[in-house]
Amino acid sequence: MTQQPHVLVIDDEPQILRAVRTILTAKQFRVTTASRGEEGLTLAAAQPPDLIILDLTLPDLDGIEVCTRLREWTQAPIIVLSVRDTEKDKVAALDRGADDYLTKPFGIEELLARIRVALRHSAQSKSSGRTVVRSGSLEIDLAEFRVTRSGVEVRLTATEFKLLAHLAAHAGRVLTHHAILAAVWGPEYAEHVEYLRVYMRQLRKKLEADPDHPEILTTEPGIGYRFMADG
Amino acid sequence: MSLVRVPVVRLALSVVAVVAASGLLFPLRPFIDTAAVALLYLLPVGLVTAGLGQGPGIAAAILSFLSFNFLFVPPYYSLRVLHADNVVALLVFLVVAVVTNQLVGRTRRSLELATEREREATRLYELTAALMGVTDPTAISQIVARQVQITCLPDFLELQLRVDPGGGVVRAALPAGAAPPAGRPTKSIPVQGTHGLLGEIALWISDGRLSSSQERLLGAIAGQVAFALDRARLAQAESRARVLEQSDALKSALLSSVSHELRTPLATIKASVTSLSGGEVEWDTEARRDLLEAIEEESDHLNHLVGNLLDSSRLEAGSLSPERSWNVMAEIVRAALARMRTALRNHRLEVDVSDDLPLVPVDFIQIEQVLANLLSNSAKYSPAGTTIWIRAQATGKEEMFVLVENQSPPLRDEDLGRIFDKFYRVTAADRVSGTGLGLSICKGIVEAHGGRIWAENTAGGLIFRFTLPLLFGGLPPLPEEVE
Repeated sequence: MTQQPHVLVIDDEPQILRAVRTILTAKQFRVTTASRGEEGLTLAAAQPPDLIILDLTLPDLDGIEVCTRLREWTQAPIIVLSVRDTEKDKVAALDRGADDYLTKPFGIEELLARIRVALRHSAQSKSSGRTVVRSGSLEIDLAEFRVTRSGVEVRLTATEFKLLAHLAAHAGRVLTHHAILAAVWGPEYAEHVEYLRVYMRQLRKKLEADPDHPEILTTEPGIGYRFMADG
Repeated sequence: MSLVRVPVVRLALSVVAVVAASGLLFPLRPFIDTAAVALLYLLPVGLVTAGLGQGPGIAAAILSFLSFNFLFVPPYYSLRVLHADNVVALLVFLVVAVVTNQLVGRTRRSLELATEREREATRLYELTAALMGVTDPTAISQIVARQVQITCLPDFLELQLRVDPGGGVVRAALPAGAAPPAGRPTKSIPVQGTHGLLGEIALWISDGRLSSSQERLLGAIAGQVAFALDRARLAQAESRARVLEQSDALKSALLSSVSHELRTPLATIKASVTSLSGGEVEWDTEARRDLLEAIEEESDHLNHLVGNLLDSSRLEAGSLSPERSWNVMAEIVRAALARMRTALRNHRLEVDVSDDLPLVPVDFIQIEQVLANLLSNSAKYSPAGTTIWIRAQATGKEEMFVLVENQSPPLRDEDLGRIFDKFYRVTAADRVSGTGLGLSICKGIVEAHGGRIWAENTAGGLIFRFTLPLLFGGLPPLPEEVE
């Protein structure tokens, strides 16, 4: 990680590969590209990347399958690329270990921001042992069960804390409704998005400066939520 | 009626007729002349021939001749004849009887034939009338099977018709539910259409025979079936052709509208990019930013357009089924506003959608698309600098009302109802860009959610309103846990 971070891009569209390679190279990344799923898996095994950008529609393998097979041996963050209206595929990829997603067409600033967040998140989870998560004026001490906003303690119910702690522990990652519900309420509640909606509303009221424009607990339309942590 | 058909019975009847005639004439023997008796004996011969046919007629003629000779020509009770004139009388009687028999028989036969032909014609007429306008092969086969049943009275009949070349076969069997008899059918008639064999009518008849009239009728029925099937096929082909023609017209309308719509942003992008990369002009920072903004804006516009095209084709294919789950309307509105940011740049926005509204069971992405289309429409048709309002409220426990209001010029009443139709454009197509798809998609999506959408003129603009049910499968969201 001291030298240039290595990014593997798996996408079957040569134009996308060309653009992403040009831009990422200019931004001091080392870029490897693959246009097929099998090729991507082989390359990933040969030179383990620090981050993988994976298109969900590949000619040979299902992108979700590639995601699953990568997660069998690597924890390198995976950012999924897909088109709009394929929410099911995105959710499936996230539930199988992808960290984030981007909808085509995307702005390059957006991609760079996601790459930065993902790399930071993976570096932090490697150094582990981190129990305090910060986002702006918010500080969450996962070990002490304490949440403070500008130094003032925020009172949360047990479920609210459990939910916030789960999101904060996976800061930067997109968590699907399903995954959050299963982790916080239990697998039998996985389909009851309404609980999540209600508790997210409560949490935002307690934590966000402007609950109508959340900056800490952001919504991923049709997919889930994300906790935006500071670096 | 049926007994009279048995030959022995008919013969017996002719005997009875002659015996009765003899019985009636016998008491008159002393009073009338043999010539008169001969004439009177012609009566039963004529009647029997007319009533029972030629065979019994001949029998009656011979029997009458013998009875006449035996009872009325001297010497009585003997077949011998003494006088020459009586011999002549007897011979003349015999000749007249036979000739009468022939004439009456011929008349009778032609009458029978005429009746039979009439019956055939009636049957065929009935069949033609019943098949008129029927294009369903199953219905055709049933009608025909019934007609064959009436015509031929078979023990069992089976009808097989090929629906289309290489396709399925329709079967009809009568009596219904009976198992087909073992063995080969007694009679099978092919149904020959203009493009080859279409099927077969198979009959099982225990006495094994059909009259020539029945045979003829069956042939004609087979012809009618072929005709009906051909007609059905033509009707089907015609309606298919019509559907194709319509969808073709729709496609070319779409193509022309879309290619125009796609080219406009592409032209802007191309022009901006070539200006920036040309190197002939030194652009100052602001001009560069303008050009770059135009590129970004038009790319977003293209993306929005492609989304609408996809939704429209899904709507057409009936595959735009919402993935409903409990959502917060305020979040959907926020997502739509974020996506339409650049298109809304020149308008003021007033949003009144509370986070505390009840949850709505909707497909987030689809309702976001509805809002995006309504916003895009409002931005396009209302002057820059005017306000666009978005409001949502729940009325009662069953419906949420969402409205997007703008300050565009009012619409004519007839346009209000039609702006949700596909390709319907109020303004001349070259003045404001658009495919005429956006609002039709809104309607498709809202209705797929079980809601309604409509537009109203207001004092200073136009309101789009839509409703969404608050119940999912008839139920509200699960009750909140109390902590």
